[in-house]
Amino acid sequence: MSGKPAASAPVRMFFREAIARAAREAMQADPRVIIIGQDVGAFGGSYKEFAGLYDAFGPARVRDTPIAENAMIGLAVGAAAAGLRPLVSITYMDFLMLGLDPLVNYGVKARFKTGGQLSVPLIVKTTAGAKGQGVAHSQCIEAWMMSVPGLQVFAPSTPADAYLMLKAAFLAEGPVLFVDHKRLFPVAGDVPPSDAVADVGRAAILRAGDDLTLVAHSYMCRVALAAADRLGQSGIRAEVIDLRCLSPLDIATVETSVARTGRLITIEEGQKICGVGAEIIAQLSCLPLSFHCERIAALPAPISSNPVLEAAALPDPDRVVAAARALMTKPLHKEYP
Amino acid sequence: MIYALTVPGPIEDAEEVRVLEWHCAVDDAVNPGDLVVELETHKALVEVRAAQAGYLRRIVCADGGWCAIGAPLAILSDTLDEMPGEQADDLPMLLVEFEVC
Repeated sequence: MSGKPAASAPVRMFFREAIARAAREAMQADPRVIIIGQDVGAFGGSYKEFAGLYDAFGPARVRDTPIAENAMIGLAVGAAAAGLRPLVSITYMDFLMLGLDPLVNYGVKARFKTGGQLSVPLIVKTTAGAKGQGVAHSQCIEAWMMSVPGLQVFAPSTPADAYLMLKAAFLAEGPVLFVDHKRLFPVAGDVPPSDAVADVGRAAILRAGDDLTLVAHSYMCRVALAAADRLGQSGIRAEVIDLRCLSPLDIATVETSVARTGRLITIEEGQKICGVGAEIIAQLSCLPLSFHCERIAALPAPISSNPVLEAAALPDPDRVVAAARALMTKPLHKEYP
Repeated sequence: MIYALTVPGPIEDAEEVRVLEWHCAVDDAVNPGDLVVELETHKALVEVRAAQAGYLRRIVCADGGWCAIGAPLAILSDTLDEMPGEQADDLPMLLVEFEVC
């Protein structure tokens, strides 16, 4: 696996394989890169997203840990401050909560506290999203993390971005929270060659349209695209924007789209209150822009492991289509009020 | 008759599969129970076995290729005298059995 020549053309692969490829290339390129977490070693990662790395790089660089998120992130912060480039894998984003003290109070602040003398080039990779595992293994708390100054938050929706953005995270100066999603691992897509570079910090327009703007990130981009397809069948042209990166947030791309459409729906799997959509709408409200908007998010309840209740709590294309139709009935005010 | 061997389904969580390995070559006879092709989802292997006899005539999706659930993988015929065309999309489906391992 490590003896393969660098790919020179896009290669189709599963989302988890794109992550493994980015990690493998980073480990080949830089001996300071290490991977730590539960089941990252011989098992190859909880979602097989680190498959092959243990065999290629050995137990010193691909290290299994006990289930102790606070200690895992704590030692990774220390290792990064001391000169390594660790990726620490937190299998369920729910348990990132246990590691927030070392990440937020030490990892992210080290650069500020030392006047830039100490940097903490750390990746915390974690998997968000609901897929039948109940109240404490389903949450999307990435919006909390957007308000931590100095923490970058990446949330790709495609195998190509998983590869490019994880590669970029391995080169970043400070901590990066890399959020993937349980329902993205089965997705396949074309991944660019190894000399491609991510346009980190820029949102992507996944589908162009003039009637309304749908903004999402991670798995919800697929919900947005499915809704846009259905809206398109009835003549409503929805633009779909994939934020890709929540911090820094590319509000300019959203603004340009909403200036044209005058209608915005934000879609996220986390909570509505103080969510990604709330932040986007708040930022747009401070601009000379007139628009109608709606936020779609998980219902304000814990996510049940009962599949009927889980589905009822989560945003789906039906909810997006209904919200879009309602917004389309509102007249546009092109003038700034 | 001429048939299409399509990616069987539904397979939990899978929209698209990768062909891991063909176990038959073009013009091989295929009998019920024979392992014809192994497919890969993001986390599982899918063994596809013939549930009717025939001859493998053309592989549409070779080893390493990608194919959506329900899309054609190969063309088979009842006899070697029949000449299958290029088009696999509108053919009747070959009966198969599959197991997700």
